[in-house]
Amino acid sequence: MADITLFGDPIRTWGELPEIGTTAPGFTLVTNDLETVSLSDFKGVNLIINIFPSIDTSTCALSVRRFNEKGADLENTKILCVSRDLPFAQGRFCAAEGLENVVTLSDYRNDNFGENYGVMINGSKLSGLHSRAIVVIDENGIVKYTEQVAELKDEPDYDKALAALN
Amino acid sequence: MANITLGGNPITTIGELPAIGTKAPDFTLVKGDLSKASLAEFKGSRLVMNIFPSIDTGTCATSVRKFNEKAASLENTKVLCISRDTPFAMNRFCGAEGLADVMTLSDHKDGSFGRSYGLIITSGPLEGFLSRSVIVLDAEGNITYTEQVPDIKDEPDYEAALNSLENN
Repeated sequence: MADITLFGDPIRTWGELPEIGTTAPGFTLVTNDLETVSLSDFKGVNLIINIFPSIDTSTCALSVRRFNEKGADLENTKILCVSRDLPFAQGRFCAAEGLENVVTLSDYRNDNFGENYGVMINGSKLSGLHSRAIVVIDENGIVKYTEQVAELKDEPDYDKALAALN
Repeated sequence: MANITLGGNPITTIGELPAIGTKAPDFTLVKGDLSKASLAEFKGSRLVMNIFPSIDTGTCATSVRKFNEKAASLENTKVLCISRDTPFAMNRFCGAEGLADVMTLSDHKDGSFGRSYGLIITSGPLEGFLSRSVIVLDAEGNITYTEQVPDIKDEPDYEAALNSLENN
């Protein structure tokens, strides 16, 4: 359980982010084309997972844009933007914004990402959505860096996340 | 379990819609302002539930617009548009389109509405979404009309749903 805040009010998540140095937990998520993908589909690739409550809120949208800007320069690295938005909402956003360097994935179907990565919000009006967090996984599937953003409306630390792979 | 189709391909749902003449199951859904809504708070109003997979698809968006056009003239009747979209997605849509006569409610949290009303799709690419359906309740919370749209891509029968209110 992690204690975070929403506009200063305390809220909680169900669990903790995976520990640095451990093998990243598995997941199954849904693409904009309604296909399922698993962690094992990204084997051999570095992953920056940008996790947030909803793409239809401003900070989340900003984080997707910011990572999209940075994503083009990264070698052997994919940026996954993960939320419980429906795939159609994620697809609409990325198409409207012309974002091609990020992959948006939805955890709407069975919440296994939210549970395995400890990011499901519990006991607040945002319960059932993901907290704002970053998890960086190297090409061997090992967790290299995590950030649980302490205040949900704040942006994550983009530079630290990007530097974690150097 | 209901058998429906998605663009002609067979898919299944978790159950059957509630039977006409029975009491509607209670529910907890999330409003646009993130507060909770339950069936009890609509007591005394007739309800038209317009249920669909996602507001970000063409047919669903059309159904919300069409029911919004009709809703203003209905006496003692509320139109609830229900899906598993996040409340933020529903607000964006209704804000952008200026739709004020329908209330959007989200089952994003746990799908409990979808389960108790027999609406969760259980196979195919839309697994986990709500099937396209219309359910009408009288002011006492009794089911008076239902339509499970046979192919997810088709629009519901707006006239039949609205006509069912004239007979109550």
